[in-house]
Amino acid sequence: MLLKLSFSSLYARLVTVGMTILAISVSLMLYMSVEKLRTSAYTSFTDTISQTDLIVGARASSVQLLLYSVFRIGNATNNITWESYLDLVSKEEVDWTVPISLGDSHKGFRVMGTNKEFFSRYKYRGSQSVSIDKGYLFEDLYDVVLGAGVAEKLGYKIGTSLVVSHGLQSFSDHDDQPFRVSGILKKTGTPVDNTVIVSLAAIEAIHVDWSTGAKIPGQLTPIDEIREMDLTPKNITAALVGVKSKLTIFQLQRWINEYPEEAMTAILPGAALQELWRVVGVIENLLLGISVVVIFTTLVGMAAIMFSSLSERRREMAIWRAMGASPFTVIGLLMLEAIFISILSITFSVVLLFCVLNLLQPWIDYNYGILVNIEMLAIKDMYVFAVFIIASITVSLLPAIRAYWFSINDGMTIKL
Amino acid sequence: MRKNIYYSLLLSALVTVSVAEETRQVDKHEHGVGELNIAVEGNSIDLEFMIPGADVVGFEYKAKSEADIALVKDALIKFDEFNNIFSIPSASNCILVEADISINQGDNHKDEHNHDEHDDHDEHEDEHDHDDHDEHEDEHDHDDHGEHDDHGEHDDHDEHDEEAHNEFVAHYSFNCGNIKEIDRISFPYFTTFPNSGELEVQFVSEIGSTSFEVEGDEPFIDLKGKI
Repeated sequence: MLLKLSFSSLYARLVTVGMTILAISVSLMLYMSVEKLRTSAYTSFTDTISQTDLIVGARASSVQLLLYSVFRIGNATNNITWESYLDLVSKEEVDWTVPISLGDSHKGFRVMGTNKEFFSRYKYRGSQSVSIDKGYLFEDLYDVVLGAGVAEKLGYKIGTSLVVSHGLQSFSDHDDQPFRVSGILKKTGTPVDNTVIVSLAAIEAIHVDWSTGAKIPGQLTPIDEIREMDLTPKNITAALVGVKSKLTIFQLQRWINEYPEEAMTAILPGAALQELWRVVGVIENLLLGISVVVIFTTLVGMAAIMFSSLSERRREMAIWRAMGASPFTVIGLLMLEAIFISILSITFSVVLLFCVLNLLQPWIDYNYGILVNIEMLAIKDMYVFAVFIIASITVSLLPAIRAYWFSINDGMTIKL
Repeated sequence: MRKNIYYSLLLSALVTVSVAEETRQVDKHEHGVGELNIAVEGNSIDLEFMIPGADVVGFEYKAKSEADIALVKDALIKFDEFNNIFSIPSASNCILVEADISINQGDNHKDEHNHDEHDDHDEHEDEHDHDDHDEHEDEHDHDDHGEHDDHGEHDDHDEHDEEAHNEFVAHYSFNCGNIKEIDRISFPYFTTFPNSGELEVQFVSEIGSTSFEVEGDEPFIDLKGKI
């Protein structure tokens, strides 16, 4: 009876109540999407590299080294020489190493030189490895393997020929030595999707006629001659390292960090990522804080709307009282109303959230490489909802008490 | 953030020096920041602390006065009993198989203090340090000494090139009956050494690596699901 009454009373004020519900749902959705983005970004980052024990590069902050070597964000401070790399390879703690060389690009996508071992050693999301979707890994010097994203966005197929640009802003191209797409990788959801992968020798080959960042004028070594040359790299950008025993990681890390001949840094990918996250965490908390404030504001808004509706509903309440409702029933009715509004808002906000996430997911994935996981609500969300309902009941108490006052004072002799 | 500044300082120093034939580099050294490396594999867990002298005994020059020597000695004894430094849940049944405590004299000409070397020190740790101290006590002129006393705050490291930055290095290896039970390691270290600042922890296990920053107000790390 009470429920029905409260519901029909709400229905009678459809527009005002509807607007309130809309405002609350949008703010709840804002909070939930910030939370979803936050957790997705975190898992997406941590899932990007696994089973690599150390990343070695020129001396830099650990976060910087991690960002340029794994996420292709920013640039290397320096390269490391091939001699130092060989020294590292010969350390007895080392199980495997994969050298990578960065610095060139193709239509905005980073070109990475590496060896075939990369495809078996690079692991993501636990123990998944990169696998080939079409074609084969590079066999010829001028073969190139594309990440799924590159092939999709540029519309390249097996056999497409492409030219690598020197540097990251393409001022000049290595157009004398075109490459041919030999393979396309399966989608991984990692930065590999947006990488053009060639062999280390190919990186060396395209720079044969280059000196200190510019083409030597008039010099053009024929391709046949280049193929005959010794194309062992002179330097690399970074190396992924696996150790035989985890217990020796720190010993090896110290050896690398104190390597006397060259200033190098070795990082534990997970540790560096956590360090980065401590910085990002501040911004995260700020975003969360803002959305909590937004929710609070809408709750206050809800109370304000209830207050203002009280005066127009004095007659309604007087009638309730005349029909035999006690002043407590009036309080109950208003609180029920608040519960209704909040439950409806929660339902609506969840619907909104899934619509927005479904709409934005491809875009976020495409632009930022973060795969937002659209899954059912977590237990944590339920807690948030419970807290929200309790908060809305608390907030509705104020107008309810006021209504109680009105209903005692006014009785039936209401004069407006 | 401060670390970045250190790195960049280091880097700029290196760039200028790299022209020279011989490369020179200096390990970073930050008061108030101790380092801890934890590695887990199979049934073994290794913990390795590298703590600036300032965090342990409040000074970093070579101990010369009786009081200072006593402080250093006392600190070494505290490190010997690992329960003063950290505690591992007893359910994990971890037994200490090796401990190795020493002082690393990281002065400008960084002495080759490799870990293999430490093994020898195990037994004569105390004697060793004392020999050292006695020798130096007489050698060092006392003017120098007086000067140091003013440097309680130690803001300008660069000026003390000839001065050593002591670092306490403590390495503990455990064998555990039930290593998965280690869900948290707490650090009485912060109460044992009131001068201590934060601990930068690098952690690695078969599951992966992570890092923590631990301070005295929350002196533990949460390792749930990480081993």
